[in-house]
Amino acid sequence: MALEDVPRLGCGRSIDEVWAGIDQPPTGHEEHCQYCQTARTRLQRLQEATVALRESDLHDPELKPRPGLTRAIMDVARAEVRRGNRLLVRTTDHGTIEISEQALDSLIRIAATAIPGIHSRRCRIDIRTLPNSPHETTSTARAPRLVINFRVAAAAGIDIPKTVDALRQKIRTAIPAGIGIDAGTINITVEDLYDV
Amino acid sequence: MSDPYLPGSLINSQLIASLAARTALETPGVLRLEPTLEGFLARLGPAALRSLRHPGSQDGSYRHDGVTATINDGTARVDLDIATDIAYTALTVAEAVQQRIHENISHTGLTPGRIHIHILSIEPRPE
Repeated sequence: MALEDVPRLGCGRSIDEVWAGIDQPPTGHEEHCQYCQTARTRLQRLQEATVALRESDLHDPELKPRPGLTRAIMDVARAEVRRGNRLLVRTTDHGTIEISEQALDSLIRIAATAIPGIHSRRCRIDIRTLPNSPHETTSTARAPRLVINFRVAAAAGIDIPKTVDALRQKIRTAIPAGIGIDAGTINITVEDLYDV
Repeated sequence: MSDPYLPGSLINSQLIASLAARTALETPGVLRLEPTLEGFLARLGPAALRSLRHPGSQDGSYRHDGVTATINDGTARVDLDIATDIAYTALTVAEAVQQRIHENISHTGLTPGRIHIHILSIEPRPE
C-alpha cells in the first residue's frame, strides 16, 4: 500500500496547494475555510522571509562571485563542449593528433566572415581516411579527407554562385593554412536569404 | 656526454604532467592548455575537489588542466588538450609539441610512450 506523507489540513487540502497560491488572492474556498486561512497567514510570513532572504543574497557583496570566476566557469564549459567530437587527423611516430569539430567549425566561420553577403548557419564536418598509397611511407600516409557540409544565408540581391565560389575558395585556403590538411569536399547550401 | 638521468623513483605522473604542460606552453603557436572541470575545482579548493574522484593517481595517472600523464612499467604516456594560434598551422604546432615532449620525457629516464595531442580550439591570439 502506498503511503501518502503529504501534510494535509483539516479540510483535506495539502499544504503544497495552499503554498502554490500564496501570491494570489484567496480562492472562494480559502475565504471561508479557517484551516486554509490559518495556513495562509503562516505561509505568508514564510513567503515574506523567503523574499527578504533572496533579496538580501542578491545584494550581499559577500555572495558575489570573485572577479574572473564566472569567466573561469565559462572557459571550462566551452572546453567541455570542444572535447565533444574530435577527428583524428594524423598519426605520427609519437602518437596521434586529433582536432575538435568545434575548432574546424570556428576556422570555417572565421573564413566566412571575410565574404560579404554571407551569414554562417550550421556546419557539419565528417572525416574519411584515405587508404595508403603504395608510394607513401611516412607517418602522414593515411591522409584524412574532410567532407564539409556548410549551410549559409545569403544577402538578397548578391550574385549567389559567384559569392559561394568565393566562400568555397576562402575555406579551401583557410584549412590548409590553419590546420595543415587539405580542405577536401566543401558542400555549401544557401538555405535562406536575408535583407541587407 | 649524455644528460644525467634523474632517479626513476622521483619521477611520478604529476611531474610528467607538469613537464608536458610546460613544454607545450613553451612551443610557439600554443595559446594555452584547455581547462578541465578537475583543474577548475582544484583552484577553488580541496573541498570542491574532493567531490570528484580525480585528479588522483589510483590508476597511476595524473590529470590537471589540459594534461593527463600516466606511467606504466617505466613508460610515460601523455594526453594533452591544447588551443593553438590561428597564425600558425595547427598540425605543425602539434607535431612540434609531440616531439619536444618525447625528448623531455626521455631525459627523465622514463621511456616516452604515446603522446596524444587534441587540438580543441584554433583562434586568434588575444590582443
